[in-house]
Amino acid sequence: MLLIIGGQGSGKRSFAKTLGYSDSDMADAVLDDRPVIFHLEQIVFRSPDSLDDILQALEGKDVVICNEVGSGVMPVEHWERAGREATGRLCILLAQRADCVIRMVSGLPMVIKGELPCASH
Amino acid sequence: MMILLTGGSACGKSYYAETLCQSFPLPRYYLAAIRPYEADSKAKIARHRQKRAGKGFTTIERYTDLAGLQLPERGTALLECICNLTANEMFDDEGNQTDPFQTVMRGVAALRSQCETLIVVTNDVGSDSKTYDPATQAYIQALGRINAALAQQADCVLELVCGIPIPLKGALL
Repeated sequence: MLLIIGGQGSGKRSFAKTLGYSDSDMADAVLDDRPVIFHLEQIVFRSPDSLDDILQALEGKDVVICNEVGSGVMPVEHWERAGREATGRLCILLAQRADCVIRMVSGLPMVIKGELPCASH
Repeated sequence: MMILLTGGSACGKSYYAETLCQSFPLPRYYLAAIRPYEADSKAKIARHRQKRAGKGFTTIERYTDLAGLQLPERGTALLECICNLTANEMFDDEGNQTDPFQTVMRGVAALRSQCETLIVVTNDVGSDSKTYDPATQAYIQALGRINAALAQQADCVLELVCGIPIPLKGALL
């Protein structure tokens, strides 16, 4: 599994497309049988207490894309803090399982674990 | 030696810092700057305590005035975290505000002089698009300046991303 993280608009999906995935391969914040999921953070914010279930549902994904949401001032609202914390913790667990972790910065893929996969899909 | 660890919320900083401390000699001091004010902080403190259990740490709760702290022995110290310490030094219970820069920097320097290895945890609070009240805005600025000054003094600076350490300065340990 490849984990792609980064800020909003940092080029995460565009990068996934360079690996051969198309829009129709990518599920927008829903857990289905498509090989790529993006906006994982939205799923976590909806149910921050279900990390085990989410983790299990992500098994078998080729690519998991998640926004980095832990920066900036600690939010005042509890739900927002809980969502940030849970997203961070889930990403740590995913990074442990991932063969490769990429952090997008200004459209550039920074490989922070493993090696860049070749376009093979 | 001083190592600075930074990163966003729940990026694995604490766990990495604690594990890192294991590779340095005893005694091991954990300096906790987070005030147990509200349910979230209390839950966080409980979680951190549980994770530290069995790792050989002596916990010292110190919310302000790090410069006045005397460590019993030289060894390894983990300071968690600069964001809380800065807030504690900057705002008092009556809501009065002072510039925390000198106090925090003096405190870290005093701590560093009393141990062989100091590991400091901080946070990146400047990376969002929201507009805050003047006090919060001042806090973001102050913490940014403190982080920059600490990074300048540190032998090694690492950013934690999804639990993965990214070297920003010095060698990855």
